[in-house]
Amino acid sequence: MGDDSLQGWAPEPRDADELAHVVDMAFDYRGDVTIVLRDGTERVGYLFNRSRERGQAQLLEPAAAGPVTVRYADIRTIRFTGKDPASGKSYAAWLERKKADKAQTER
Amino acid sequence: MSVPLSQMWTVATYVLRQRLRGRTRYPLVLMLEPLFRCNLACAGCGKIQYPAHVLKRQLTVEQCLAAAEECGAPIVSIPGGEPLLYPEIGRLVKELVARKTYVYLCTNAILLEDKLAQGVLEPSKYLSLSVHMDGLGDEHDEAVCREGVFDTAVHAIHEALRRGFRVTTNTTLFDGVDPERVRTFCDAMMDLGVEGMMMSPGYSYSKAPDQEHFLRRQRAHALFRRILEHPNRRWKFNQSPLFLQFLMGKQDFECTPWGNPTYNLFGWQRPCYLLQEGYASTFQELMETTPWERYGRASGNDKCRDCMVHCGYEPTAVHHTFNSWRGFRSAATATLTGKL
Ligand code: SF4
Ligand code: SF4
Repeated sequence: MGDDSLQGWAPEPRDADELAHVVDMAFDYRGDVTIVLRDGTERVGYLFNRSRERGQAQLLEPAAAGPVTVRYADIRTIRFTGKDPASGKSYAAWLERKKADKAQTER
Repeated sequence: MSVPLSQMWTVATYVLRQRLRGRTRYPLVLMLEPLFRCNLACAGCGKIQYPAHVLKRQLTVEQCLAAAEECGAPIVSIPGGEPLLYPEIGRLVKELVARKTYVYLCTNAILLEDKLAQGVLEPSKYLSLSVHMDGLGDEHDEAVCREGVFDTAVHAIHEALRRGFRVTTNTTLFDGVDPERVRTFCDAMMDLGVEGMMMSPGYSYSKAPDQEHFLRRQRAHALFRRILEHPNRRWKFNQSPLFLQFLMGKQDFECTPWGNPTYNLFGWQRPCYLLQEGYASTFQELMETTPWERYGRASGNDKCRDCMVHCGYEPTAVHHTFNSWRGFRSAATATLTGKL
């Protein structure tokens, strides 16, 4: 996991503004998230769209054919539970690995 | 320049029709992503990092065709992911070609030879295989993070040309690239016999894991001037000469983010192929509700400040060519003399 990854983050937003910010971060996150609803139920999936104006987020759940829409008003928090697939995939990391492999074979 | 006359004519008449209809915002190239899966994992690629269940999904051919129709652009580019992993790529291309749409199938070419042998694709003036080539030999392999890909792509290009396909190359130039090596690369691509090359500077995707290897605007102008100032007469580019002049700093363009709209599993992507700031469910919604004024250099948006990529600026170059006498003259002169 990269230092800057949100993987494992479990924020506790205190108001609607903070929640909207967490939704934005979940939208930017490349792994699955767990949306914890106010009624206690949880929905796990990839949050691929959101609109502050409409107060809605869209989620692709692993087994579902199409997206589900969740209202901001129904969300208590979002946990960043899925593996972050963008973490540790940098070009620099690949070059480092390549260098290390080369050094190993030359030894 | 190497864009075939029939394609140029289609684009020119399309642009003029838009003008006559008084349409100021119109699409030129639909970027159609039927899937995000890829058989490579190039560093800096912001397109493929999704959970497995998202990578397993794909659009249906019908969804793709409906998007092409809704958008109405004369050209459809199929990037990815890797479109040759799309099980219905043959049918999709066939259907688009039947609609007289010019198709650029953007592939890393790993599967190309096999697909050609299986007869999945048929040559057509409407279909161009646009092979991802980021450098010669090891340089390309390094950019795509796998050894041997350059040689595979070269074999596939030979085979596609032998079978009568239009073949172009698309190259992203990253920071630190040696302009002399790029010139040698251009010679080598022409030696392969491709119809033309496409070039674009890299972009630092906000979601890409690797930020440090992309070109910044000023450095990019200097780089492209060194590459293109004295082009070899044999070089052919499958892109607007005014876009190349823009890369060299000889044209001052603003981005046209709606010029290359992107459709994928999530819908119509706002505002452009690179940035993922949300999705609209219809093309009309994309055009009417995206706050376009927030994008492009003049907007002051940080994400746009250094961007010079083809999907934002090539449509501007094409619009300029067919909407101003000066633009038309510059493009015609560059086309006829080969000088940029
Ligand atoms: S081949 Fe293209 S889509 Fe695949 S990883 Fe490389 S840049 Fe991304
Ligand atoms: S300048 Fe245009 S193409 Fe580049 S990131 Fe901004 S909107 Fe997208």
